[in-house]
Amino acid sequence: MAAGPATPAAAPPKLRVDEVGKDYAIPVIARVSLTVAAGDFVCLLGPNGCGKTTLLRIIGGLEPATRGAVALDGEPIVAGRAPRHRVGVVFQEDRLLPWKTLEDNVALVLQPLGLDAAARRETARRYLRLVGLDGFEGYFPARVSGGMRQRAAIARALCIEPDLLLMDEPFGALDAQNRRIMQREVRRIWRETGRTIVFVTHAIEEAVEIGTRLVMLTARPAQIRELVENDGRRPRAALVDDLNAMIMEEVERQQGAAPSAGA
Amino acid sequence: MVSGRRWAERLHLPTLVVAAALLVAWSLLARRYGAYLLPSPLAVLAGLGEIVTSGEVWQHARASLLRIAVGFGVAVALALLAGLAAFLSRAARQVAQDFLAVLNSTSVFVWIVISIIWFGLSEWGPIFTTFMITLPVVAANVLEGVSAVDRRLLEMGDTYRLSGPLRFRAIVVPSTLPYLVAGMRVGFGLALKVSVVAEIFGVTSGIGYAMNYSREILATRMVFVWALVMIAIMVAVDALLFGTLARRIERWR
Repeated sequence: MAAGPATPAAAPPKLRVDEVGKDYAIPVIARVSLTVAAGDFVCLLGPNGCGKTTLLRIIGGLEPATRGAVALDGEPIVAGRAPRHRVGVVFQEDRLLPWKTLEDNVALVLQPLGLDAAARRETARRYLRLVGLDGFEGYFPARVSGGMRQRAAIARALCIEPDLLLMDEPFGALDAQNRRIMQREVRRIWRETGRTIVFVTHAIEEAVEIGTRLVMLTARPAQIRELVENDGRRPRAALVDDLNAMIMEEVERQQGAAPSAGA
Repeated sequence: MVSGRRWAERLHLPTLVVAAALLVAWSLLARRYGAYLLPSPLAVLAGLGEIVTSGEVWQHARASLLRIAVGFGVAVALALLAGLAAFLSRAARQVAQDFLAVLNSTSVFVWIVISIIWFGLSEWGPIFTTFMITLPVVAANVLEGVSAVDRRLLEMGDTYRLSGPLRFRAIVVPSTLPYLVAGMRVGFGLALKVSVVAEIFGVTSGIGYAMNYSREILATRMVFVWALVMIAIMVAVDALLFGTLARRIERWR
C-alpha cells in the first residue's frame, strides 16, 4: 500500500481518505486526505456546493472517485461494489419507504444481515426507542412530522450497527428548534453507541456543537483548509467566530471564482 | 340542512334530476317513433326482467367475462413481465416502450379482422382482440410506474445492501402498484367495450352476440337491455373491484 499521510503509532485509522479527488465537467474535489479514528465524530464543513456531499458519497461508495482511494478498516471502498463493512447513511431527505411503517422501514435493512423476523422486529423496536420514537412503531411516515421521520432514518442507519455512519446535512429540512433537539439527540446517541460518524453540514454552530473533529473545506475544487480538534480547550464562541470568518472567505471565493475557461 | 346537502351530493341529486328529465324525454320520443326505432324505458325494464328470470343474462355475461378474463388476464401478466424486464434492463424498457407505441396506434378493427383470418369464427377472436387492445394500455402504465420509482429510494436500498429481489419487492413493486391498478382500470373498461364488438363475429354467446342477435330479429328493445347490462357490469366492477383495490393500496397516504 502506498504511503499515505503518516498516522502516529498504535491504532490504525478506522477510515482513511487518501488523496481523493473528483472531476465532473470541472474539478469538484481537488485532493483530500483524511484519517478518522474509531469513535470520532467528524464534521465536514464548507460553503454550499463545495463538494462536501460528493466527498461523503465517495466515502460511502455511492459514487466513484476520479482519483485517490478510500479505505474502511483497511478495506478499500469501491463504488458499486457492496463493501464487506457496514455503512449506515442518513441522507438530506429521510428516504423512508412511504408504504412501510416506521418499524418495517427499520426492520427492512436488517434483512440482508440474516436476522429472523422476530429478531428484526425486536431490533427495530429497540432502535426506534433509542431515537425517541417509542409508540410510533406502527405509524406510516406520512403520519409523523419531518423531525420524527429523520429520527426513524437515524434509527435505520444505526440498527445495522454500522462501522461507519455517514450523515449528509440530515437536519437541513428541519426548523430551528427541531434542529437543536436533533443535534443534542445525535450527540447523545453518539456517546451511547460510540459509532464513528462523518457528518456534513454548512452550519458552523451545528458542527461546533456536535463534532469532535472539524474539517473545513475550501471553495470548489475542495481541499482541506483547516483541521480543528474540537476538544473544548478553546472557548466555543471564539472557535465559532474563527470558523465563520473562514467559511465567509470561502463562500466569497466560490462566488467570485466562476469556473474559468481553459486550463 | 348541512347533512341534507351532503346526502344530496352523495346521491348525485343534480345528476338524478337530469336523468329523470332525460327519461321523460325518452318516453315521449319513444311514443312518437315507435318500438322499433326507440323502445320505451318501461319496455326496456321489462326486457331486463325477462333475461334475468330466464337466466340468459348470466349465461351471456359469463361468456363475455370469461373471454375478457383470459385476454385481459394474459395482457396483465405480460405487462407485469414487461415491467420486470424494464426494471432489470434499460434496453428492455426502450424496446418495450417503442413496441407499445406501435400497438397503441393500431385500431380495434385491425385485430378483429386479423383474428378472424387467423382463428376463424371462434372463441379466440374476441380473446385475441381483447388481449391486443388492452396490453399496450396496461403495460404502458406499468412501465411508467417502473421508471417513476424514486431513484433516491433505490439508492437507499443500495447503501443497505438489499438484494435485487428484496429491492424489487420492497421498493419497485409498491411504488408501481398504483400505476398497475390505474392501468387495469382503464384496461378493463376497454376490454369490455372491445370484446363486445369482437363478439359480433363468429361466436354464439356473450353480450355482443346477444346484442347483435337482438338487432337481427328486430328486437330493438333487447339491444337496449344488453347495453344496460354492459353498463351495469362496467360500473359494478370499477367501483367494487378497482375502487376497493385502489383504496387498499394507498392506505398509507
